[in-house]
Amino acid sequence: MSKKTPSSGTQVKTRGMNPKVKHAWLDFSFVVPAIVLLAIFTYYPIAEVIRISFTNWDLLKPEYDYVGFKNYKWLLTGTGGKYFMNSLKVTLIYTVGEIAITVVGGILFALLFNRPGSKGYTFMRVLTFTPRYIAMSSAAVVFLWLYDETYGIFNYFLGMIGAEPIRWLQDKYMAMVSILLLTGWRAIGYGMMIYLANMRSIPETYYEAASLDGANGVQKFFGITLPLLAPTTVFLLVTTFISSMKVFQSVDVLTGGGPSRATEVLVYLVYNYAMNKFRMDQACTIALALFAFLLLVTVATMKISDNKVNYDA
Amino acid sequence: MGKNSKDAVYSAELRAIRRRKVGKAIQTVVAVIVTLIMIFPIYWMVITSLKTQQETLLMPPSFWPEFGLQFENYITVFKKANFSKYYINTVVMTVGILVGQVTTGVLAAYGFAIGHFKGRDILFYIVLGALMVPIQVTFIPLFIMCSDWKMNDTYAGLILPHLVSAYYIYMMRNAFLSVDSSYIDAGKMDGLGRLGTILHVLVPMCKSTLITVTLLTITSGWNSYFWPKIIARAEHRRVLTIGLTNLRNTYAGQGNVNNHEIMAGAVMAVIPIVILFILGQKYMMTGYSKAAMK
Repeated sequence: MSKKTPSSGTQVKTRGMNPKVKHAWLDFSFVVPAIVLLAIFTYYPIAEVIRISFTNWDLLKPEYDYVGFKNYKWLLTGTGGKYFMNSLKVTLIYTVGEIAITVVGGILFALLFNRPGSKGYTFMRVLTFTPRYIAMSSAAVVFLWLYDETYGIFNYFLGMIGAEPIRWLQDKYMAMVSILLLTGWRAIGYGMMIYLANMRSIPETYYEAASLDGANGVQKFFGITLPLLAPTTVFLLVTTFISSMKVFQSVDVLTGGGPSRATEVLVYLVYNYAMNKFRMDQACTIALALFAFLLLVTVATMKISDNKVNYDA
Repeated sequence: MGKNSKDAVYSAELRAIRRRKVGKAIQTVVAVIVTLIMIFPIYWMVITSLKTQQETLLMPPSFWPEFGLQFENYITVFKKANFSKYYINTVVMTVGILVGQVTTGVLAAYGFAIGHFKGRDILFYIVLGALMVPIQVTFIPLFIMCSDWKMNDTYAGLILPHLVSAYYIYMMRNAFLSVDSSYIDAGKMDGLGRLGTILHVLVPMCKSTLITVTLLTITSGWNSYFWPKIIARAEHRRVLTIGLTNLRNTYAGQGNVNNHEIMAGAVMAVIPIVILFILGQKYMMTGYSKAAMK
């Protein structure tokens, strides 16, 4: 933080309060609304989540007690554990899929659509990015229609090439693929744009030097492009991971967690326990586990990215 | 001997050029196909919204409405499904969130970037910490709190938890920090107070960041789904994102799915945001790449 020299304004003598103190209070008052709102709507609730996780709060019953670590036992070794582990697994599968699409797909798209100076390619890039503009709520109902078993266009296309129709949302394995197709459709253009913006900042001289050394395209990609894009990759990895762990909307609209819990992601599990079973205690315990996960990953990546990925490309 | 090797080099070069040309042509063909696949769902959404119900159930499906463009689908949805109400609710919610986040965000950014007071850095860390606490974790106490305050199915309930954005503060603070202090001092010489400095010096100088972050605020408000689903379940306070999903639920019960109307609803729900994105494209792209540089 830069130190500022006291400006002439602070030297004006004010009666009453010490002017320096007065200025400090005035400066402070600017952050008060934000701090107060964050305290009420972020920090107090997270404290409440912790408190509720030690109770047996069923919203349908008039009272509740503190029960110690009972909910944690329930989550780790009790009946809740089965569903929690299932949701954790489902969420991680989704997360890995989403990261693969955003990072690997993004970089492949970036390579495919990279032709500087071509207007046609610019136009195609804009079109490829367009799904990002389609809000998830709209995109989800559009994909529901595409996935329709009888009248959906996807199964029609499959029929055209002689393949059997797919039960996109009812099949245990396809349901997750269908969700990933929807979210990946909106994410891949974003990954492409991020990679392209950073690819363009790699100096051309690096590639020229490599060419003189007789490197081919593949070698240049793995030797220059990919390493220099490492910070970008880490950025996409972390942001995609965090947003994927919180996935809810696409699951809610497409599958509702089904079939037989095959797409019941963590947030959906929390939502179910809170809003359908009214078990606030158990919902809060699962929510806390999710929070711990997010915190762990955020802190870990901060450490890693501070130490390892600090190329000033 | 010398002549032969020269020829060999020459033809090798020719071959390389030809190979590059073929490679470029293949690249373009693949790129075009991929682009078509990517925009197909959007095309299908728009085209379905303009078909009659019978036509949506045709096999093989028609790739262009054969019975004329049914623009009345849009009117039907507006009348039948309370879409106008959803629209109003969404607009009110988005405007409320926008006003709240811009006001609290710019003020706090000033306090943290320009202001001097004890505990400033600690308070700023508290703001940053809030970035790590998603509403998917805290929604249960929030829901109970809002219920206690009788804010179920109200605009206040929809807006209040989103009045402040840590991300907004963080981005604007960074932008304000990048403004050279000589400009701020010059403003003070001209008799500008704190609010004057914000409005006449800082905001104009950080216009592009301000627009980028504000656009993100608008889109995330307009598209928010999780919190509205929890706090505004009653029909009269539903927002578009929720209403759209329920459009399907309502119709599915009637025996045949009215996908032409659902698609019309989907188009109407995204149009404001698409227009916004087109207007602010320049800012959105720089915003994205800025974020990636970090």
